[in-house]
Amino acid sequence: MRTSSHPPYLDVLLTFARNNLVREMTFRMNFIAHGVAVTFWMGLQLFFYNLIYQHRDEIGPGSGWTRERYFVFLATVMMVNSLMQTFFVPNMKLFSELIRKGNLDFALLKPIDTQFLITFARMDWSALGNFFFGIGVLIYALIKMDYVPSVLQCVLYAIYILLGVAIFYSVVLAMATSSIWMGRNQSLDQFWFYITTFARYPLEIYTGSLGTPIRYVFTFIIPVLVVVNVPARIMAMGLREDHWPLACYTVCISLISLFLSRKLFNFALRQYRSASS
Amino acid sequence: MTLTIDVQNLTKTYRVHQKKEGLKAALIGLGKRTYHEVPAVQGIDLQVHQGEFVAFLGPNGAGKTTTLKLLSGVINPTAGHATVLGHIPWKRENAYRRRFALVMGQKNQLWWDLPAQESFRLHQKIYRIETEQFDRSLNELIDVLDVSKLLKQPVRELSLGERMKMELIAALLHSPDILFLDEPTIGLDVVAQHNIQQFLRHYQQTRKITVLLTSHYMKDITALCKRVVIIAKGRIHYDGSLKGITDQFGGYKILTVQFADDIESPPDLSKYGTVQSIQPPQVTIQVPRAEVASVLSHVLNQHDIADVSVEDPPLENMIAEVFSLAAEEENAS
Repeated sequence: MRTSSHPPYLDVLLTFARNNLVREMTFRMNFIAHGVAVTFWMGLQLFFYNLIYQHRDEIGPGSGWTRERYFVFLATVMMVNSLMQTFFVPNMKLFSELIRKGNLDFALLKPIDTQFLITFARMDWSALGNFFFGIGVLIYALIKMDYVPSVLQCVLYAIYILLGVAIFYSVVLAMATSSIWMGRNQSLDQFWFYITTFARYPLEIYTGSLGTPIRYVFTFIIPVLVVVNVPARIMAMGLREDHWPLACYTVCISLISLFLSRKLFNFALRQYRSASS
Repeated sequence: MTLTIDVQNLTKTYRVHQKKEGLKAALIGLGKRTYHEVPAVQGIDLQVHQGEFVAFLGPNGAGKTTTLKLLSGVINPTAGHATVLGHIPWKRENAYRRRFALVMGQKNQLWWDLPAQESFRLHQKIYRIETEQFDRSLNELIDVLDVSKLLKQPVRELSLGERMKMELIAALLHSPDILFLDEPTIGLDVVAQHNIQQFLRHYQQTRKITVLLTSHYMKDITALCKRVVIIAKGRIHYDGSLKGITDQFGGYKILTVQFADDIESPPDLSKYGTVQSIQPPQVTIQVPRAEVASVLSHVLNQHDIADVSVEDPPLENMIAEVFSLAAEEENAS
């Protein structure tokens, strides 16, 4: 009757994807409005940076972040954010809410990895529009630069976007997990916004007495600065030797982040007390 | 009979932040917090065999739900042991989690905005149920619970009773060997309650599964369970048959006497026992069990009686008595 003891993760994932799509389609107007709002926000950002580049040729003297290159950076921000908003942020908000209301009970009962379940249960498909918007911006910037990236560059770019998403995911998972001790975590959204704000700019701007401490904190303690910077550099500036140390570090730190956040998650589940019914 | 659930000295203590009234106290609470320990379950011993239908009775906060949560591995105990189907529940092994289900009347696990059918499909994937078996189980459950017309409606549009039926289906699709039911009929109207009871009885009898049920409705319990466990203040105060409660705690009987004449003021019967009500020509008194026979013959001899009945006190009253006894014991210790 039961063919295997191994839970069918891919099957469950596809069912989640399908159910979420069906769910969002039932609220058609919401689906469209949300998609439009998110895209509008990104369009506004584009406009804003265009404005800045009317005054400057480069952000940070000698940094190499010209207007077109910075658009590559911005495209990367869009793609990473879109993946986060589609897959992980809604789940972490829900997770925090499940803890508060004691509804995590049902997730703990299922014969499948609990972290997997709470990570993928919700998908906000309307936020995925930005991913394609980002690809559009990337192509536009590359054409403007008259630059054709190599296949290796493209592959590494994709890999580093995924590693960046893994780091972001670990951070937001750790934040949501803390709800187990805090009872609730209403500030999840705000925290998420503040922390990712730092990740939205090139590393090069974090210099001097103000910038340097921030660069260290957000590279080594909460490693969100490498999330966009590393793939964006690969795509915008090519494979430069002086960029390799940070790239290697990114691979390590993303794996460490995933490992540590899972440890924290499992530790927290043992403390879960379930709200009264 | 195989031992399905074996619980020894199971204890769960919650540490709760003491909140005091008022803004000033709340401000102080931001800095320094006082905690106190709430013993939810205090050293419970329990053995349940395969195929038993056991009811957990107890006032609110007695530890019934906490016990079910411990046995389903949702929370970890503070002390004690438990094995269910040979597994330690709070290890949360998949092999165990495939074999039981928990249904909570106050919480729902179905996707709110989707038809129940979609949640069932998801369960099929998570529990890895073969399509053939899934279809068979689902059709059978839909049939028995009479919900075929509701499958395509979003869950949020269903009535409470209909939703509970769907919750039961979701919980039973993987054919669990043990079913934990936490107040499954709460908030339901009489008809819906009756339907759920009928279904549970039928399902348990045909499958011979083990069921643990908590409920505040005596009807659920009398309809379903032979064995009753009374919990109060985290301790077991009674574990035995439903009838045994009457024997152990029902120290009196209810005697209802109807006088022959249509009189305005019936004779005083307070010398025989506690008078409960006077509704001429009918008087109801509470008589110690041992004296029922003598009281009855006295009354019949001395008065002109049209009708008489002797009954056990309502189960609710006896249970309430057990609860208050338990509370007294607790305060004394």
